[in-house]
Order: sequence, then structure tokens, then C-alpha cells
Amino acid sequence: MTLTIGVEPRAGAVRVATSAVRSTLTVPIVALLAALIGGAVLILAEGEDPFAVYWTALDGVLFGPRGLSDTATAATPLILIGLGYALAYRARLFTIGAEGQYLMGAIASVALVTAAGVRDLPGPALMVIGATAAVMAGALWGGLAGFLQVRFGASVVISSLMLVYVAQAFLQWAIRVGIRDPDSFIPASRELGAATLPTVPGLDTHLGFLVAIVTGPCLALLLARHRLGYRVSVLGHNADALDANEVASRRVMLAVIVWAGGLAGLAGFAETAGVNGRLGDSASLGYGFTAIIVALLGRLHPIGVVLAGLAVAALKIGFEVAARSHELPSSLVGVIQALVVVFVVAGDALVARGRGGSR
Amino acid sequence: MDAILTLATISAALRLAIPVALSALGAVVSERSGVLNLGLEGMMISGALAAYSAAEATGSPWLGLLAGAIVGVLAGAVLVAFVVYGRANQIVTGIAVSLLAGFLTTYLFQQNYSIGQVPPRLNRIGLVALVLLTVVLLALVWFVLERTVFGLALDAVGEAPEAADALGYGVDRIRAIATLIGGGFAGLGGAALVCGPLGLFIENVTAGRGWVALALVVFAGWKPLPAVVGAFLFGLSDAVQLRLQGTDSAVPYEFFLALPYLLTLIALVLRARASRTPAALGVPFVRGTT
Repeated sequence: MTLTIGVEPRAGAVRVATSAVRSTLTVPIVALLAALIGGAVLILAEGEDPFAVYWTALDGVLFGPRGLSDTATAATPLILIGLGYALAYRARLFTIGAEGQYLMGAIASVALVTAAGVRDLPGPALMVIGATAAVMAGALWGGLAGFLQVRFGASVVISSLMLVYVAQAFLQWAIRVGIRDPDSFIPASRELGAATLPTVPGLDTHLGFLVAIVTGPCLALLLARHRLGYRVSVLGHNADALDANEVASRRVMLAVIVWAGGLAGLAGFAETAGVNGRLGDSASLGYGFTAIIVALLGRLHPIGVVLAGLAVAALKIGFEVAARSHELPSSLVGVIQALVVVFVVAGDALVARGRGGSR
Repeated sequence: MDAILTLATISAALRLAIPVALSALGAVVSERSGVLNLGLEGMMISGALAAYSAAEATGSPWLGLLAGAIVGVLAGAVLVAFVVYGRANQIVTGIAVSLLAGFLTTYLFQQNYSIGQVPPRLNRIGLVALVLLTVVLLALVWFVLERTVFGLALDAVGEAPEAADALGYGVDRIRAIATLIGGGFAGLGGAALVCGPLGLFIENVTAGRGWVALALVVFAGWKPLPAVVGAFLFGLSDAVQLRLQGTDSAVPYEFFLALPYLLTLIALVLRARASRTPAALGVPFVRGTT
């Protein structure tokens, strides 16, 4: 018996297709607005004018000198990790430990790309090597939690989170000893050098953003057209149906967790090679947790996740801009982001009730 | 090992174990009624901040404990509204509650103490008093769960809600009460963390201990005494890692940082299959569905 099993009251009902589509779009939009209203109350409590703050934020994102490109950069890890969560949650595998997979991906890619003998290769080769190493390390770290679930029945919710703490400790060791830059005074990894991701011409953000944007539709296609996508949705609704048709549900579960981990690992490489250029003390910024919000706001749909990632990133960048001219604490935007997910959950519960509790 | 297992280590182990033990006790209560409380970490950190604020304002750490428990109950009420009465997905809702509490406590704390400023230390509650409190609450939880009609009803609701419903028990009401109790214990656990020997609130002070408590509940087979014993083992590994960090050992100290979480993971893995999970854990109750 595992903890991941739970029957949603609305599953299995004869659903009116149009109302389902409508609530798919309505719930996240209303949730976003409700969270912004909640944020407005907090801004008022700060003694600032919420309209002015939101206007400054919107103006900064859309028309500011770096508004759009900063948003794209900030959205990159959120989209990649969020896509992995969406895939896993569709299969009802509620992992919350992408932060650990992200870090392991980042560490593995930096270690390999800056290793003696490898680091002299040409840049494009290094990028491919780095991305591959990151995907594999993230997939392994996620796969470990998945294996413990499938083999021992240990809840992936808890085990994936425990592995975040292990990964954070490993990061500290890696930058202090393992892959430390000997010339650095504070603990930091060696610099990525030629593996640094190039800037996309015209977009003023790094290549990782394009990868994230393209990954969304690819995953959508995979889910809609490929056998794995079909199995994932069967797994999410009735795992026994898979086993009854001689498809081992455990293997599908493991595949899902491994893919999700790989995407988180890739995000780790993209962020390190695209933004920071090396790993430092502050490499663990909590993208793995914010991406849960992105996945749920995006309705677990790959295209939705891309849009949600951009929206959440725009919120963050907008508030950074607004904080320059208004007195606002940096932690305020986190509260608004968390409110979004609470309202999404509330909206879903209300919609399920509105269907008359019919199952 | 003699040098490690000194009295100081044991007392540090108790200090580190108590918050986890209290939260795990609360999780035992709510999970046996069928409600999986993944908001536990959030309830702990909310309780911790409430306790710190109250204790700092009044000068009394005991009032801090009380405030922590009350805020824990309130956070439990949010979960109740969603998962018991709203029939929302328990896993997603719990994660949402933990995320919100994490961001909100950081925000509220920064409101009152600007970055860089050292927040004042509290008058602290002694370790002996906290140990006694934990033992009393353990006995109370054990008694209620194992020796009262309410405990029996709670198990019935968690194992076979349809049957309990048919017998006239209010499934929603019992689950709501159990979840509120669970929230109160988690808030108390967070409060014990800051009003105990630490005497401080810092951002993310709970550091995943709510999740550790959830793992320990599985390890304990949903029984109160083993849950507290498990919490002590976690505290012991935490205390040993703190001690070993300072020594010149061949093993890098980062390994010891990860050790309590690794041991929790191992405990979870070892017992996940062996334990009897409450049959209706995580399943919303809708009358007439089975």
C-alpha cells in the first residue's frame, strides 16, 4: 500500500466536455487574479498603492530595457522543471523533490564539462556533453526515489524531498572540495568556460530558453500521440488497467519519474551554464518548489506549463522592477505565487462540487 | 563511540527530537482518521513563527507554545476546509499549504525583522519541561487512540468510512477533529523548536522536519509510541552529526549534514511495506460511492 493512491471524486463521471474545457481555462485565470488581489491587500498593508505597483511591474516587464529577456531567463528553469512535474502528476506520482534533481544535474554537468581533458573540447560539444550529463544525473536522482516507491512502496512524496536535503549537502561538498575552483576565495565550482550557453540573437536570453520553449510542444506531442503518453494517462486514472493489459504499471511509473528527473537535471545545467557560469553557495534557490506552482497553474498540460512558467517568471521580474521604485520586501512575490496555487486547488474543489458531486 | 554518546549528545538528541515527535504524534492522529496531512511542514513553521512572536511580545515562552498550537489548529482548519469538506486532492492541497506557509512565514518574519538585524533571543523553556510535556502528550494520544470510543471511531473512519457512516458516525466531523488535533500538534512541534533551547526563529527553521515526521509515521506503523521512538532516533542522528561536524574526521562534514535525512529515508524504505496503512488514507469520503 502506498500513499500515492487516491480517487478524485470527479473521476469517472460523465463529464460535459464544454464545461470541462471552460473550467480548465477559468480556474487558473481566476486563481491568478485572486492571488493578485490578495497581493494587493499585502501591498496596501505595506503602505503602497497596489495599482501603481502593478502598473510599474507590468510596464517593467513589457517595456523595460530587460523586462522580457529577464522574464524569459527566469522562466527557463521553471518551465523545464514544471514540465517534469506535469508529466509525473498526470500519472499521479506526486514528487516534490525536483530541487534535488536540479542540483544533481547541475553538479554532474559542471564536474564533467570542466574535467581535465574534456574542458578543451569545442563549445558546442561541451554543451551537448553537459546537457546529457545533467539529464542523466537528474534522471538517476529522480529514479532513485521512483525505485524506492516501486520496489519498497516508500512514498515518493517524502523520499524525493529527503533526497533534496542530501543533494544540498552534496552541493556544499562539491563546491568546497569536489569541483572547487582552486583560485576562488569562497567555495565555488570551476567556471564553465566554453560550455557557457550562447545568447540567442534578438531575444537577449540564453539558449536554454529556446530548449525549454521547444520541450513544451514536444512533450505535448508525446503525451497525445505516443504510447507512453497514453500509458501515463491510464496510470493516472487506473493503474490496475495497465497491469490487466500486461503493461507493468511499475515500469511506466519508473519511466515517468526518470523523465521528470531528467528535465529537472537539464534545468540545472541550463541555469548554471546560461546564467551563473559556475556553481556557488546560492545555487539552490528553490526553483524546484516554485515549479510545483507552475505545473499546477498550467493544468499539467505542457503548453499550459510553458504559459504558466512565463506568467510566474513575469510576476517575479515585475516585482523586482517595482521594488526599485516602491518599498516592497523581496519575499512578497513568493506569497503571491503560493496564493496562486492555493486558489487553483480551491477552484478545482469548487468546480468538482459544482458538478453536483456526481462521480 | 563513547566520546560521541555522552550526556551532552543525549540531551541534544532530545532537544532535536521533541519537535519532530510532537508533529509525528499529530500526524498519527490525522492519518489514522484517513487524512494525509502533507501540510505538516507548513503547520510546523507557522507554529514556530507564531510561537516566536508571542513569546517575544509577552516574554513568556509558555504563551509561545500556546500560540504555536493555536496557529497550528488554524492551519489545520484550512486543510479541513479543503480536503474534508471540499474533497480536494489531499496530496496537492497539503503541498500547497506547505508552500504557502513557507513563503508566508518568511514574508511575515521579514516584516518585523529586517535582514541583517539579529532577532532577539527568547526566554527559553528547559529541556526537562519539554520532555515531560512530550511524554504526557504521548500518553494522552495513546490513551485516546487505543482506549476510548472516540479512538475507535477514528480508526473506523480511517479504515472503512462507509461502514462508519452506516453506523451513524459523522465521518467528516471526526476527520475534521482529527486533522485539527494534528495541526495543533504540528504547530506545537514548531513552537517547541523555537521556544525550547534554541530560543530563536530563523527562516526555514524547521528544515524539513515536518516531512521527516511524516516518514516516521510510516516507520512507526501509525502507532504513537514507535513514532516518538523514531523521532528520538532522528534526533540522535541529528545530534551526532552536529557533534561530528566539529571533529577532524576523514569523512567530510557534509555527509553528516545529509545523515539524518538519509536515515529517515532508510527508515521509510524498511517499513513502508511492512506497515499496515489505514485503508482509506488519502481517499476523500463521498457518501454512496462504493
